[in-house]
Amino acid sequence: MPVTSIVSARRQRSLLTFCSAWLALLAVTVVASLLMGAGQVSPARALAVLTGNQDHDARFVVYELRGQRTLLAIIVGMALGAAGTLLQSATRNPLAEPGLLGVSAGASFAVVLAISLGASAATVHFSVAIIGAMVGCLLVLLVTQVRYVGDDPVRLVLAGAAFSAMLGAITTLMLLFDQRSADEIRFWVIGTLAGRSSVALWWSPPGILLALALMTLLVRPLAALALGEHIATGLGHHPRLIRLLTLLIVAVLVGIATAVAGPIAFIGLIVPFVARAQTGSDIRRTLWLSLLIGPTLLLLADVLSRLAVKPYELPIGVITAMIGAPVLVAVVRSRRLPTL
Amino acid sequence: MDISAALSPPLRRPPLPAPPGYWRLAAGHYSVLLHRRGLFSALLLSVLLLLCSGISLSAGSTSLSVQQALLAAVGIGSKMHLFLIQELRLPRLLAAALTGIAFGVGGCLLQTLARNRLATPGVIGIDDGATAFAVASIVAVPTSLAPSYLALTGAATATALAFGLGGGAGARGYRFIVVGLGIGALFGAVTNLMLARTDIDSANQAYPWTVGSLNARPEEAVLMLAVGLLLCLPVAKYLAGRLALMRFSDAVACGLGVRLAMTRILVLTVTVVITALAVAVAGPVGLVALMAPELARYLCGQQGVPVLNAGLAGALIMILADLVGRTVLAPIEIPVGVITAVVGGPYLLWILLRRPHRSGQ
Repeated sequence: MPVTSIVSARRQRSLLTFCSAWLALLAVTVVASLLMGAGQVSPARALAVLTGNQDHDARFVVYELRGQRTLLAIIVGMALGAAGTLLQSATRNPLAEPGLLGVSAGASFAVVLAISLGASAATVHFSVAIIGAMVGCLLVLLVTQVRYVGDDPVRLVLAGAAFSAMLGAITTLMLLFDQRSADEIRFWVIGTLAGRSSVALWWSPPGILLALALMTLLVRPLAALALGEHIATGLGHHPRLIRLLTLLIVAVLVGIATAVAGPIAFIGLIVPFVARAQTGSDIRRTLWLSLLIGPTLLLLADVLSRLAVKPYELPIGVITAMIGAPVLVAVVRSRRLPTL
Repeated sequence: MDISAALSPPLRRPPLPAPPGYWRLAAGHYSVLLHRRGLFSALLLSVLLLLCSGISLSAGSTSLSVQQALLAAVGIGSKMHLFLIQELRLPRLLAAALTGIAFGVGGCLLQTLARNRLATPGVIGIDDGATAFAVASIVAVPTSLAPSYLALTGAATATALAFGLGGGAGARGYRFIVVGLGIGALFGAVTNLMLARTDIDSANQAYPWTVGSLNARPEEAVLMLAVGLLLCLPVAKYLAGRLALMRFSDAVACGLGVRLAMTRILVLTVTVVITALAVAVAGPVGLVALMAPELARYLCGQQGVPVLNAGLAGALIMILADLVGRTVLAPIEIPVGVITAVVGGPYLLWILLRRPHRSGQ
């Protein structure tokens, strides 16, 4: 048996181990999410419902309120985790993160603009968010083509921060004109999973699943791209095309996630970071792992956001920032940024 | 003959001519070199500043002529005019000018210290730290003076974190800035957390601190800022000379007699103090600290560290932004922080995307 296949067999096994571990963790957080917060039903009562009790009020809270919210968190988590991994791989930048680079900000800004122009239908929000994310991704692509910036991960993040700050200021400006829709807009400015309409539940899963299915076609080319542009070209891939398609999928994922939950930063940074730490930097492994880590982390953050300042709820973006900022510092501090 | 000539007292050597671009002012044994272009730009900025101040005093919901406004400022005019100018517009103008000076000077010092034109207090999270603590003081300890002190504490905390975790300023450049960015995000999240927890009244009261506004600022905070500037500006001017030498490598600066550690600590202290006091007045209007030193350097040329010109430029930008915010969409008032962010964002992007200069200066 050749050495390489032994190594790869071992890697395969470890990937399987990690995957099952994260799956177990995900199951635990799902149960926690069903049992805790969001609605006046104690964990004990919720547990009784889960084991078959016919308590109508509690059934409603657990299955309708918390169940929907949990499902949304899983979907958004998968989308953001995968988007982060894809974007980092396509730009070969370990700090590239849809939230930090302004893709999420672009999506939410587009929705705010649409709302202030009078759009109110949820379907419009979805399409506008995706278009906004696409424009954001296009800008990221353009910026990475600029010399001196594309090569420097940290500079790219700064550019994204500047872009997000600018969009935030314009949003504040629009809020000044239009106090009426201020409440509606506030949700698009800070991410949260509370009180989402069931429309979101109908629209987002098919879109996300489609994007994830298309994504599987890009995994091998992206893995080749990690070896360098010349080698990828030599292997018969087209780097520019791969990048463009990847960013398109990232835009769809982030657009839908933002339409569902508003801009949530840092998840796309933490997830690939954790995944790489466990299985190495090969996207063929990290991508599948990130599809499990993303929902787990987001659910965890969501449960925390319900419990942290009871009886209020915290926007989930605040929790992810509090977890993510230290990770950002850790990544930047690590002696050599991991090269992708 | 020769001997007497040799014994006569030596002639005083004629003074060295001033280097090109400088004037030499001498009185007896003492002399100073004045940077000609720096002097001219200071003059230009001062004239512009006076002009904008006049316009800012006269413009508004009730517009007066510039003459009326100036007369009212020195105490001549109808009761209504006096109230309008002395109670409303003059304090606001003063707050704008003082915060502008503070942000400009702080930005210039920190940029030079970090050898990176992006390293301004706002970008590395000092503003966010000060804001978080100021908001905490409103939510937890509601007094009018407390925000200034707590903003100072917050700014110091954020600075210590940014420098501690970023591995100090210096050659590491962008890494240190992104660490600051992370710290800023963390403090921003804490601010949001506190705003989410409190009742709507406290949250509204704390709102100006989160966007940056000059509307009805507390007088005590302005007074503290004025005192702080009075104490810090001479130190800043002195430090500018040291910093100008530190633009060379550490070894060279050391050889020229600069005490590196001491200078760094002093620069950081001055930056933190004036930035925090300014944030306590106007909230995080950090991008002024980015633009003002750049404008000053553009006007002064590349020599030296134009601390005072940066202060003047900062005041000019602040007053202009406030003027625009007050008048363009009247009666709606745009917070000054929003104006500077709308203008400063693209500017920040432009700095990042164009070809970088050597060592960021």
